[in-house]
Amino acid sequence: MQPQKNEQEWEQVNGLDRAFASRFAKNMFFTLLTIVMLSFIGSRFFTHLDLNLYGYMVGTIIFLAGFFYRFMAWAERPPTKVFIQKGKKLLFRKNTASTSVDHMVSHKFIWNRGIYRWTQHMLIGWGCILSCFVTFPLVFGWMYFTMAENGMYTVVFMSIDVMEVRADGLLAWLFYNALNISAIMVIAGVCMALYRRLKNEKQCAEQTFIYDFMPLYLLLFISVSGLLLTVTNVFFAGFMQPTISLIHQYAVIVTLIYLPFGKLAHIPIRPLSVLAKNYKLHYGEQEMKKCHHCGNEFIAAEQSADVIDVLRQNGMEYKTEDGVHLAELCLPCRRETRLQMFKHASASMLSVGRGERT
Amino acid sequence: MTKSVLYLELDNCIGCRSCLAACTQCGGHDEKYRNYVVDVNPLVDTQTMPLMCLHCVNPACARSCPAQAIQIHETGAVLSARVEKCIGCQNCTIACPYGIPKFDVEQNLMYKCDLCIERTQHDIPPMCASVCPTNTLQWLTKEQLAMKKEQNVLDNGKWIASSDHYLENETNVHISLPGILQKKQKLF
Repeated sequence: MQPQKNEQEWEQVNGLDRAFASRFAKNMFFTLLTIVMLSFIGSRFFTHLDLNLYGYMVGTIIFLAGFFYRFMAWAERPPTKVFIQKGKKLLFRKNTASTSVDHMVSHKFIWNRGIYRWTQHMLIGWGCILSCFVTFPLVFGWMYFTMAENGMYTVVFMSIDVMEVRADGLLAWLFYNALNISAIMVIAGVCMALYRRLKNEKQCAEQTFIYDFMPLYLLLFISVSGLLLTVTNVFFAGFMQPTISLIHQYAVIVTLIYLPFGKLAHIPIRPLSVLAKNYKLHYGEQEMKKCHHCGNEFIAAEQSADVIDVLRQNGMEYKTEDGVHLAELCLPCRRETRLQMFKHASASMLSVGRGERT
Repeated sequence: MTKSVLYLELDNCIGCRSCLAACTQCGGHDEKYRNYVVDVNPLVDTQTMPLMCLHCVNPACARSCPAQAIQIHETGAVLSARVEKCIGCQNCTIACPYGIPKFDVEQNLMYKCDLCIERTQHDIPPMCASVCPTNTLQWLTKEQLAMKKEQNVLDNGKWIASSDHYLENETNVHISLPGILQKKQKLF
């Protein structure tokens, strides 16, 4: 929720912001405007829109509303704001590309957590990304196929004839079956994840149906219903195809609406890890914080100051008797300080009250 | 909230580090321990004290997490960072006033004591308290804790481990200070 602006603040707001009731409204408007413009260009003035897919369009708009609602509030949290504001200024560092690949493409950190988990995550993650890359350009008319001469398909992307492929060639086969391939990837990944969740004791204890299982079941349902469309077309002459198509479409829409609010919300959060890495590297190179007790460098000075500020905003100010903030001590010294505090406040020096001590 | 709470009687610690060994065996801890046993006066005497996450009611680690990866269980336990959300910024390690969270650089992941949530949510003692041979770590019912409080109240009306004196904030884990058992017959 944005705080109400007073008169002076309104004067500082620029003209464009004045046109909208809130930042949410502004973001929604410009995002939708961009999509409409891209569709206008991509579909050659709306002449190549596939209206069979209009349900996904509506689903996407509702998803965007949920996305902005959830993540605009998230981005306003004091610690998040620090990383976004400082991190985006450091986007042009040399290591951004390699960090982005590690964190968002190859998921190296998940590999380090276990090969099984990495495999399931790669299958689910890349299966979903592949399906999005195919579905959304088709929905908004950014990509479509035309047949200029018999036996050859022309792939059109953003109104540009990108390539011609043989209708019975390997490349065309991959195009037709991209969603089937992605569905198989997701089904395999989800089955691995479900197996792990049912077998791993720690997972069994912590997981909840709504948070941990529902996204897996949703992805499974979408993938299976999507594959059924192919099965019914190829083996059953399209039996119940329109019904399955609608069920599949509804499942996708429900998942899109759910995405910003459940476990899948980690997808939009992940790019922040690249900003955080840049932030740590950049400010670490500038100045490291020396522990007030032992003098060891333990974290970037900027980050230490930022955390102290974030805690202050949350009404937390943890200081030692000599006025040093605990965030200015390295972890071993912080533990040492606490224990010394316990030791010197020994109960033997205090008068303990009534009752038989047992 | 669970029926029971974790209570640390620092006087009892003999430095056996059974709690650390037990911690490694908790499901999901990947054989890494998440608490500490510290020598209070190294090379002077053998006094040791355990230190672990005190599961603050208003945890600084969660407040400082930009990804909302640290969540509070309905029992009051402050859980380890959710693996899918943790972005490896280490804000939590800087924010914690007790210096508890650990960071795995390879996995880009913070991990900390989760009070063995798969056990404690069913009122089973956490691994550390289950194995502590000297009752330093105790899993007490609310009634037992009230008895301790009654026994250890100071003449100024404060409890021996009242938060405003020796801790930074209100915590779900309770601590009694060393010396509380002095001149007292121990039952173990």
